[in-house]
Amino acid sequence: MKLLLVEDQAKTGHYLRQGLSEAGYAVDWADHGLNGQHLALAGDYALVILDVMLPGRDGWQILQALRSAGHDTPVLFLTARDSVADRVHGLELGADDYLVKPFAFAELLARVRTLLRRSASPSLATTLELAGLRLDMLRRRAEREGQRIDLTAREFALLELLLRRQGEVLPKSLIASQVWDMNFDSDTNVIEVAIRRLRAKVDDPHPAKLIHTVRGMGYVLEARPV
Amino acid sequence: MNISLSGRIGLLFAACTAVVSLLAGVLFNRASEAHFLELDQQLLGSRLQALRTVLGGVNDRASLAAHLPALQSELAHESDLGLRILGPDGQLWFDDRPTLLGSPAPPGLTRLQGISGDFRVLRTPLAGGQGPQLELLLDITHHQHFLQRMQRLIWLTVGLSALATALLGAWAARRALAPLRRMGEVAASVSATSLTTRLPDHALPAELAEVAHTFNAMLGRLDDAFQRLTAFSADIAHELRTPLTNLLTHTQVTLARPRPLEDYREALHGNLEELQRLAQLVNDMLLLAKAEHGLLMPGHEALDLAQEVDALLEYYRLLADESGITLAQHGHANVYADRGMLRRALSNVLENALRFTPAGGQVTVNLQQTAEEVRAEVHNTGPGIAPARLARLFDRFYREAPARPDEHGAQHAGLGLAITRSIVRAHGGGIHAESGQGWVRLVIRLPAHS
Repeated sequence: MKLLLVEDQAKTGHYLRQGLSEAGYAVDWADHGLNGQHLALAGDYALVILDVMLPGRDGWQILQALRSAGHDTPVLFLTARDSVADRVHGLELGADDYLVKPFAFAELLARVRTLLRRSASPSLATTLELAGLRLDMLRRRAEREGQRIDLTAREFALLELLLRRQGEVLPKSLIASQVWDMNFDSDTNVIEVAIRRLRAKVDDPHPAKLIHTVRGMGYVLEARPV
Repeated sequence: MNISLSGRIGLLFAACTAVVSLLAGVLFNRASEAHFLELDQQLLGSRLQALRTVLGGVNDRASLAAHLPALQSELAHESDLGLRILGPDGQLWFDDRPTLLGSPAPPGLTRLQGISGDFRVLRTPLAGGQGPQLELLLDITHHQHFLQRMQRLIWLTVGLSALATALLGAWAARRALAPLRRMGEVAASVSATSLTTRLPDHALPAELAEVAHTFNAMLGRLDDAFQRLTAFSADIAHELRTPLTNLLTHTQVTLARPRPLEDYREALHGNLEELQRLAQLVNDMLLLAKAEHGLLMPGHEALDLAQEVDALLEYYRLLADESGITLAQHGHANVYADRGMLRRALSNVLENALRFTPAGGQVTVNLQQTAEEVRAEVHNTGPGIAPARLARLFDRFYREAPARPDEHGAQHAGLGLAITRSIVRAHGGGIHAESGQGWVRLVIRLPAHS
């Protein structure tokens, strides 16, 4: 999948391109507003990441040009300015998400994946599976290697999130937001405790571990070679 | 009109003096006039008596001629007195000073203006009934002159005394207002570096002492706010410097010589954690700065507070269970608030309560609703907090020692309750802390209506 990154700060642009490339995306990077707008209109991108303050054309103008040309490419804004008016302005113009600097790269990656998934057709699967772990969405049942796992409603929701986004590193803030609807940076270890409990039920009885901690970034559910 | 206070007081004094002296002058003038009239009446009365004696028996022009010499001699030593005798038909029989008056005077005592001056005229029948009429004319010009002089004197007095009191009043006012000017000077000398200046309010008159007191209180508040701001800047510098120094040192030491790959990874992880704390710190301080400048504008939606607290307690129950802390909730309340901000505010209070509750303790949220306000009390068991430290709980970067040594919160920045206070205030509410033996309670009050 091809992404367009329009960012005039050389370091930020460089790091973001590297990070996104290593996450498996092809990234075009424009460091000027006009160039960025040209690429956004001409290229076929799955997602556009726009800085607001740009030379030549600012992020708002590029978004406007994109929308008035009939492109519904998802757009994610990056900005150092955080005012409610800005946020509202961006969303009114048709931005899909808004991330305020300083942000963690894991957070950006998670949002990018959310946006890309949103534009793809939603998964209607009623069962989610990974390496012997099965989640039956209709009967709200979880089992591993045929053994039933007793989960609370929140544990089920957490495991569902991990399974749906298996292989992706999910930051704690995203987990708190998706599972508990806590949309603020909470500096407690609630998520750590929740993951630890889930592990005790899902991973502890089995030699192959599925839930992994990515230090300083978040958690990922994947089958790793033992 | 913009006249100085001393000018106003001077003018007021002048006006008062002028009115009083004018009143006194007018009264004195009236009294003199009445006194003169009385004197004239007496004089004319006695003259009339004498003339009647001289003119006794006169009833026509012919009989008058016989009395004329006696009359002339009588009038000779009455230089200020004139006499006219008129017949019963109004015909002039005798005129002592023909140039003075033309027309006959009305009966009784009157005042007439003659060519050479003013006269008091007494017209009366000579012997009663319809006989000849006497007109006695008394020259009162000198009285009039006296009264005019009096009037001039009165006006002069009024003018001079008004001027004098105006000047004196202004001077006195200036003197009396000197403390006010001194207050102005002190106020002018106040700057960011001299906020400790205070007005000496013990030597001031009662009216100004209150003003000085208010002024001093304002200076006190300013000083306090300024101290807080200075402390805040110093805190920011400190809070940022420490992690930045760690990052610099750590990175430089790591790069100083070749190391195994694992060491680099470890170093980057260490830096990452430090950087995440820094990012969080900057975001929190930005939020506080926004609140400080009134830019925190919460939305207003109808919320069931019990439901919000329930969701939060469910979230924090995971942590509480780890330490054997029981969470409970009582009561119901409805508020108009910004859901995200409210959750954040409450979560900070709950985190705080959990941090200071010893293992096996209890955290209880009580909700109360009255017509005007909604109260959310977060009560936790644990060591009480001294009153002096209670108010400081809401200060930025203030940290109490947590109740459990294994508590991760030792590394938190101490901005949580400051943020809560900002959010609560942005909603038009307030927060305070109470504590006793073995318990701490944070009380959030929010207006019941939007």
